[in-house]
Amino acid sequence: MLRLLIEKELRDIIGSTKFTTTFAVCAILILLAFYVGARNYQVSMNEFEAARSENLRQMEELTNWNEVDHRIFLEPQPLAALVSGISNDIGRTVDVETRGELSSENSRFNEDPIFAVFRFLDLQFIFTVVLSLFAILFGFDAINGEKERGTLRLSFANSVPRDKYILGKLVGSFLALVIPLLLAVLVGFLLLVVMGIPMDGGLWARLGLIVLSGLMYFGVFLTLSVFISTLTEHSSTSFLLLLVAWIFAVLIIPRTAVLLSGRAVDVPSMDQINYEKATLENELWDQDRKQMSEFWRSNPPSENESREESMARFRRFMSELADAREEEQQKLAEQLNENRRNREFVQQKLALNIARVSPTASFALASSDLAGTSLELKQRFVESANLYQQTYATFVNEKTGGMGGGWWSRMNSDEEADPIDPYELPVYEYVEPETSEFINGALPDMALLMVFNLLFFAGAFVRFLKYDVR
Amino acid sequence: MESKNQPMLQAIDLSKRYEDGHLALDNLNLTVETGQVYAMLGGNGAGKTTAINLFLNFIEPTTGQAVVDGIVTHEEPLKAKERIAYVSENVMLYPNFTALQNVDFFVKLGGKTKYTKEDYRKVLLRVGLQEEAHDRRLKGFSKGMRQKCGIAIAILKDAKAILLDEPTSGLDPKAAFEFIHLLNTLREEGKAILMSTHDIFRAKEVADIVGIMNLGKLVMQRTKDELVGEDLEKLYVEFMAGYMDEVA
Repeated sequence: MLRLLIEKELRDIIGSTKFTTTFAVCAILILLAFYVGARNYQVSMNEFEAARSENLRQMEELTNWNEVDHRIFLEPQPLAALVSGISNDIGRTVDVETRGELSSENSRFNEDPIFAVFRFLDLQFIFTVVLSLFAILFGFDAINGEKERGTLRLSFANSVPRDKYILGKLVGSFLALVIPLLLAVLVGFLLLVVMGIPMDGGLWARLGLIVLSGLMYFGVFLTLSVFISTLTEHSSTSFLLLLVAWIFAVLIIPRTAVLLSGRAVDVPSMDQINYEKATLENELWDQDRKQMSEFWRSNPPSENESREESMARFRRFMSELADAREEEQQKLAEQLNENRRNREFVQQKLALNIARVSPTASFALASSDLAGTSLELKQRFVESANLYQQTYATFVNEKTGGMGGGWWSRMNSDEEADPIDPYELPVYEYVEPETSEFINGALPDMALLMVFNLLFFAGAFVRFLKYDVR
Repeated sequence: MESKNQPMLQAIDLSKRYEDGHLALDNLNLTVETGQVYAMLGGNGAGKTTAINLFLNFIEPTTGQAVVDGIVTHEEPLKAKERIAYVSENVMLYPNFTALQNVDFFVKLGGKTKYTKEDYRKVLLRVGLQEEAHDRRLKGFSKGMRQKCGIAIAILKDAKAILLDEPTSGLDPKAAFEFIHLLNTLREEGKAILMSTHDIFRAKEVADIVGIMNLGKLVMQRTKDELVGEDLEKLYVEFMAGYMDEVA
């Protein structure tokens, strides 16, 4: 009986003109997302290689390591091309200095602002917007439509258990819509291989889970549609209700969550923090200038001290001052940054938890977690840049003999120096965390999607047991 | 409780009052034996369809019982429905399926899985659906053609009892004539048939018992023999008017 009902549903959906048209559009969009994603990855990789080489080439002329304007770049990630997350919003370049705070700049949207206006056509967009509407389009009249057409009455003139009927309806609709979509996704996978995107086992596993969460998200809208169709008499009413639900889930709740958390938790702006940092810097500079101007008065050169010796003493003094100033500045910067980070974390957590009322937010978070393009990407990149900064500082110190302050050394160097070899620089490599870390991050949201599915399924099931089939 | 001596269809003090207080069926008592055709006549809102809905357990009775082959429908609905085939006034099937696919689905849903395509074709031809229509999608079918498919499904279900709700309403005169002929054959095969209809002439032609219903009540019941020499149309009008006067 259940098999018969599932087969009927499969045949009824796949045989409809509505399905042929909608499926063709969705399949093209899915393939397009894979193709565009793969192309974007190739282009980004070329740009990344070119930018890295150009940065090294610019250093070839230099003779002093202190003059080096060294940049590190975030290597494009294959999955970021399919689920862009925040990867286009964050800076992909960091100017590395031997000391001081690092920040990322030059985001994709900064370079190509037009993409910020319309965003990218990625897999996440197709699932979030297109396929959720696809699910509604096929589920809104699942039960009340059959009643309107009169087929429900004829079916229940037979000894059909209601639980089997609703189960068959849900399973049949899900399979009828998901199997053809999976075929398009599989062709997309093939496209990645053909286009030479470097996918290892971990990346395939994560991509598989992204598709799985997409299907779970699709299931949420399908079960919701069937549930609403059991609650309403007319298919026009259920369609309207589902459109309202879709607008809230996809457009309103995630945005409102950010607004609400912004109201609830106050995070100091970067301008505010920079102002505080600048104020301290000015104060410290004033103090240091006073000490500098008093240096020769309180430490005059002794008679048997040569000019070079007294200059060396002065340089040491300046270096100590700079170190102390730097330490003080860093302490405050760390304090301010940590405070901002903590508040930002609380705000983000609150925003995400509110947004999770909507399955769209859960899917967006799960898929970007799996693709490695979630909010943590920026933090991971900056943290990895900070780690590299230490290696880089050690390297430069070794090369310069600890002579900081490039302008000072340049001013006092009369010798013709040999050009530096920039290829000696320690290589920066952005290392992604383990696959399990990405999966663990996505699991709570995937579980939430499952809960949504079960909730709406249970709603449809219970409601249909008492449904008036006349 | 099933027994060969029991009536196939039986309404015992059957009443239905809806939640809004409307009394749709008032204490209906009727019996349809094996090999009998019972025609329920009456205007719109007379309670004919409510009675059929109660036999199909689409609604629960307020009081009384609808019994099919000894099975009380609201107590064991699935078991009772195994013994019923149903044809509605406006048979609606799946428009994306062909006639054969629709027949196949609904017949299997009715528990009959042994039939071949040829069996389906034979029955479709028997009910008057041309062979060229068997493999066509239902989208372009007229009401009469759909009705024929519905009747074919009911025949193939091979149930002991058949419920027909205005079965000839969409049929042209020729098809209606053939349908009446078909009902006679089904009766001869031992089916118990309960039919609701507006068509007095067809009712008189085919029914073994005619019941006239008005405002939820069975106001008259006559056997075929009792109707010999009677003008059923006149009786219908008289009973409807008389009952209306009584109510007034």
